[in-house]
Amino acid sequence: MAAGNEVNLNECKRIVPLNTWVLISNFKLAYTLLRRPDGSFNRHLAEFLDRKVPPNSFPVDGVFSFDHVDTSTNLLTRIYLPAPLDPSRYGAVDLTKPLSTTEIVPVLVFFHGGSFTHSSANSAIYDTFCRRLVSICGVVVVSVDYRRSPEHRYPCAYDDGWSALKWVKSRIWLQSGKDSKVYVYLAGDSSGGNIAHNVAVRASKEGVKVLGNILLHPMFGGMERTLSEKRLDGKYFVTIQDRDWYWRAFLPLGEDRDHPACNPFGPRGQSLEGVNFPKSLVVVAGLDLVQDWQLAYVQGLQKTGHDVNLLYLKQATIGFYFLPNNDHFHCLMDELRRFVHSVEDDSLSKSSPILLTP
Amino acid sequence: MKREHSHRETSAVKTGSSSMTANKEEAGGFDELLVVLGYKVRSSDMADVANKLEQLEMVLDDGISHLSDDTVHYNPSDLSGWVDTLLSDLNPTCDQVKPDQDSEYELSAIPGSAAYPRGKRTRTGSDSPTTTRSMVVLDSQETGVRLVHALLACAEAVQQNNLKLADVLVKHVGLLASSQAGAMRKVATYFAEGLARRIYRIYPRDDVGLSSFSDTLQIHFYESCPYLKFAHFTANQAILEAFATAEKVHVIDLGLNQGLQWPALIQALALRPGGPPDFRLTGIGSSLTGQSVQEVGWKLGQLANVVGVNFEFKSIVLNSLSDLKPEMLEIRTGSESVAVNSVFELHRLLAHPGSIDNILLTIKSIKPDIITVVEQEANHNGAVFLDRFTESLHYYSSLFDSLEGPPSQDRVMSELYLGRQILNLVACEGEDRVERHETLVQWRNRFSMGGFKPVNIGSYAYKQASMLLALYAGADGYKVEENEGCLLLGWQTRPLIATSAWRFNRVE
Repeated sequence: MAAGNEVNLNECKRIVPLNTWVLISNFKLAYTLLRRPDGSFNRHLAEFLDRKVPPNSFPVDGVFSFDHVDTSTNLLTRIYLPAPLDPSRYGAVDLTKPLSTTEIVPVLVFFHGGSFTHSSANSAIYDTFCRRLVSICGVVVVSVDYRRSPEHRYPCAYDDGWSALKWVKSRIWLQSGKDSKVYVYLAGDSSGGNIAHNVAVRASKEGVKVLGNILLHPMFGGMERTLSEKRLDGKYFVTIQDRDWYWRAFLPLGEDRDHPACNPFGPRGQSLEGVNFPKSLVVVAGLDLVQDWQLAYVQGLQKTGHDVNLLYLKQATIGFYFLPNNDHFHCLMDELRRFVHSVEDDSLSKSSPILLTP
Repeated sequence: MKREHSHRETSAVKTGSSSMTANKEEAGGFDELLVVLGYKVRSSDMADVANKLEQLEMVLDDGISHLSDDTVHYNPSDLSGWVDTLLSDLNPTCDQVKPDQDSEYELSAIPGSAAYPRGKRTRTGSDSPTTTRSMVVLDSQETGVRLVHALLACAEAVQQNNLKLADVLVKHVGLLASSQAGAMRKVATYFAEGLARRIYRIYPRDDVGLSSFSDTLQIHFYESCPYLKFAHFTANQAILEAFATAEKVHVIDLGLNQGLQWPALIQALALRPGGPPDFRLTGIGSSLTGQSVQEVGWKLGQLANVVGVNFEFKSIVLNSLSDLKPEMLEIRTGSESVAVNSVFELHRLLAHPGSIDNILLTIKSIKPDIITVVEQEANHNGAVFLDRFTESLHYYSSLFDSLEGPPSQDRVMSELYLGRQILNLVACEGEDRVERHETLVQWRNRFSMGGFKPVNIGSYAYKQASMLLALYAGADGYKVEENEGCLLLGWQTRPLIATSAWRFNRVE
């Protein structure tokens, strides 16, 4: 199969900048070393290899961050905020004052990706991404260090997401606007997108207001092998085999991929008919083998009359947003900014047309 | 395999207008975008690294996962080196002795060759000692917030020499602290005392008169929390790797204290495949504390005898480490491997101009095979008092947080042990202020400038240290982190101590 592989690798290298290719290939290689055929995971080596960064209370590039551990749940979150205008206020956060009393400052509760298994809130790739979200989109980000599989299977990540949402909603210092509320969006990439969806479902059921969902190539699946999975298997960093491994590690033992956590609108899925679900922005990378499941998710939302914007980036691979060296990154940031700053337009009903990029 | 794409070419993939798209190539030649993500890859090496990754992908099927359990990894930030190691591990040219899987929690000797980075080493350039300070995040309780504000305000008043205001504030702090609980209260109390002493000029007595008490405190600190255990363990691991094939080994401990580090090393040497080397220990103690260095050596000798390791001990008592002369160490050049070990000793020398240079010169002149250094991971040596105060407040808050738990004598003594460091930091100046902690980045800089080469501590030591933590630490919040060949132990996401290893060989 060497010849076949050669074609794939060359094509893949044509599509992305070289340093992006090196970065994602490095992850691909490392992750292969960590996954064991018996379903266990080399967590020590994973933590050794993961590049982590500390938070910074003094702003760098207009953003500062700090970590918080909720002692009742032991859940860690990293909070990213724009730098105070007054330099004498650097290095301190007043936990008794809201973000603003006049303007609305969206707070993104962010769930990092890693197929439920890899990475942390303090992983360099996600710390950097969150910081860029703050400076480019004008939001506050709360990144959740949720429990990962296979040590902690479904529903741990969702429970942690829920805890984080409730914690965020109850912080005075995350409030904004004239009515002093926390304006929350749920966001995540890959498994983080999946978590965002599930936390949103629970929020709808329990009457907690979420203004929107941002799903960046969310991780969904099912027993069926879709066309995109077959067509793109092994071509752009991801294989069906590794996707299967991660589902097996996350879902309860004995479960299959039609479990609603994996396949929310599948045969065992729950319809969101009549549920007051937040508007969604779903970003799909055109070279992601999971895309058919993501598109099915979009359709599933549309079918029950929910507001969903689809941003389809035809030539994007997974992880395109880790480096700001491509158009897809900037397109994403523009869309995101629009999405979170349109609170006033809530009354206007819309599904904007599908956005395609070359 | 054609290498088609230069850096510039792939940038042309984009058509758009956006501003920050160019792959900036900064000084040092490292790809700037990857540096931010924790990887140091020279732009000029990018294609080569990509090529190697492709080679590795060729053999990428399930068969490769066996690598993870056998292979020891080093410095993942050096992507080029890491990939090289993997490639060569796929074609092993020598038998790698696998760590003894049965004695998982004990130290095992592993081949020394693995420890030395192959291929390109990333040069540690002029890393400036910037501080990315972590925030103290308090409970939303109002008193907690006000307490920290009051402490900082008082420190600022001291900084501005407004002693009247400082006096008022420090009393206010005392009041607020008394209504707090837990770690916050204890930390605040120590910092307030430090401020008060500074304001009223009632400086803390030197350690001198309370030497045996110091020892006692340190033992309790060793028992109650994992910091010293981690320091000793990781340093010993690096020493063992360096001594893997040596027949005669000589360890120079720059601060012997109670010798708590050495029983484990002696035992590991005894278990070395192929038999133990002759082990010689030179223990250095301070003349000011009147420690019985000789007695500690004698006890270690007894242990060595029991486990069958030939042991020789020498004690050196000095006023200051900078008085150490190479002749005192009586190095047996050519017939022994030498390790120099320093756990929380070097920062004290920064209180006296020139001292650190003296000791580094001495170390260099004996050309050790390995130098192990453990230091607090913080910059408590800045020029501005207020900055030092703020930094150390954050640092000790994390440290005290990690100690929280059911009350015990060990814990109380540990808090006292740390409290004395706080007092020294806050109240003292000049040569009396010895708790001059500096960060790993700062120490790296100093060692690099001094001509020392880094010795990477790898994934085996990392794993063992993590498992050790799980055994001894109990609490969930301790984390081991790898940083460019060094290991750090922290509480939650805040690194608190750092272990690094260096060499200065005869053959360069």
